[in-house]
Amino acid sequence: MMSDLLLQAAASGVVTGCVYALVALSLVIVYKSTDVVNFAGGELLMLGGYIGLLALVYFELSYPLMFVVVIVAMYAVGALFERIPLTTVRGQRYSKNAEADLVPLVVATIGLGYLLKGAVRVVPYTEEVRRLPPLLEGAPIFIGDVILLKQDIAIIAVTVVVMIALTGFFGWTRTGKALRATSQNPRAAALIGIPVKSMRMIAWGLAAGLAGIAGILLSPKLLMTPDMGNVVMLAFAAAIIGGFSSLVGCVVGGIILGVLQNFVGILISPQAMAVTPFVVIMLILVLRPQGLFGELAFKKV
Amino acid sequence: MLRIEGLHASYGKVSALENVSLNVEAGQIVCLLGANGAGKTTTLNCVSGLVAAAGGRIVFEDEDISRLRVEDIVRRGIIQVPEGREIFTAMSVEDNLMLGAWQHKNNQRNREQLAQVYDLFPRLRERHAQFAGTLSGGEQQMLMIGRALMAKPRLLMLDEPSLGLSPILVQQVFDIIKTIHKSGIAILLVEQNARVALDVSSYGYILENGEINLHGPASALAENPQVHEAYLGGAAVRH
Repeated sequence: MMSDLLLQAAASGVVTGCVYALVALSLVIVYKSTDVVNFAGGELLMLGGYIGLLALVYFELSYPLMFVVVIVAMYAVGALFERIPLTTVRGQRYSKNAEADLVPLVVATIGLGYLLKGAVRVVPYTEEVRRLPPLLEGAPIFIGDVILLKQDIAIIAVTVVVMIALTGFFGWTRTGKALRATSQNPRAAALIGIPVKSMRMIAWGLAAGLAGIAGILLSPKLLMTPDMGNVVMLAFAAAIIGGFSSLVGCVVGGIILGVLQNFVGILISPQAMAVTPFVVIMLILVLRPQGLFGELAFKKV
Repeated sequence: MLRIEGLHASYGKVSALENVSLNVEAGQIVCLLGANGAGKTTTLNCVSGLVAAAGGRIVFEDEDISRLRVEDIVRRGIIQVPEGREIFTAMSVEDNLMLGAWQHKNNQRNREQLAQVYDLFPRLRERHAQFAGTLSGGEQQMLMIGRALMAKPRLLMLDEPSLGLSPILVQQVFDIIKTIHKSGIAILLVEQNARVALDVSSYGYILENGEINLHGPASALAENPQVHEAYLGGAAVRH
């Protein structure tokens, strides 16, 4: 039955959409707090997956402990990348045009991407294609006619928990509010004593941590290779659908994209799936550049 | 209280400040006047640590602060209210204000401070839940001053608080500046509107092309023909 097929495709689209949403959120957090488009988001995801694999298989840690290790390690990678290379690049710039100053920073993230890919390739462990054990194993679950793996349920659950935690963090904590303030107006934030440099480190740390979580969730579903970071294109598409600005936008964008991609696979052809994110990015940028949820930015006079 | 001694600053190769010296004593309102591009904002930004001084010293209460980080300068009680509408547009008025107290962890005392700020700006109390970006220009200026007060300043530096406001609002803002001053906070006021600025200040400096070209008690400056000619519309020499 076609309708069953589409229902199943929608359900698994929601699952992959959750992962896209996490990576999209990682990109958006960096963009909003530092104005930098992070082209290393995919490689951070890949690194998270491999750190998880190493922790789980080589060091034989338990799954929850592995989560903690990945988040802490990725947070450190993100924060250090901001603190050392990006701060150095920022310090050397000199031009009157703030937009031009961003180019070297964006290029630095591309560099980080290659660096991480190269570093992971050097580890002999990554020569073979591997697969991360899933968080939850066991017989698939039937919801009506829809079949979901336990890992799929785990992905949705982790995404929901992460999103709730982040909403609380940004909405109610001192640090979360200071991060938002810094992203809206760094100059004003600095002038009331918010340490902008530390805020940028926290933002990068959080973003890398999120990418790491996405890596752990996605790695059991994909073959792990140092190139698996290419999925970042899907996250970019998800973020752009959502307007590159909000948590809700990322989640909705991710899910729309996940479902859409599966529908394209069934209704058009499986080959067309790979092109979907690019077509979506182009359509959104042409028809509704602010995305579904973004507002056209308050222009500073 | 604040002593700027022979301050130099430049943007790349373009010199912005040359040998600027000025003093603000405790409990004083001091104004720094000058045309657009004279270096007024750069002077404030050097004090706040946003722009690195290329030479000279900035001393606050006998401590050289010219190498400190922005947040450490704020911690010493020097708060700048920047020019323009530098608010957190997508956050509520109350969040904006509470962020002003970011360095003060005592929530109880911050709440009391918030009540005082609301007493000073009843308009902000009315609109406390609104997004700051929806406020009018005058309200945004008040929000910035209120946010700075939440940081418990000892020296408040105001950059062009009258900019873009109607005459009635300018009067309101300057009344509030006087009230703040009466509560014992020293004020360094940067203005293009020399008339209102000299009116509230006890001492004034005039900055021209990055150099202090004239200074003296505000009343003397207000009567100085040169100042009249350049900054007060030439009223004294008009016949």
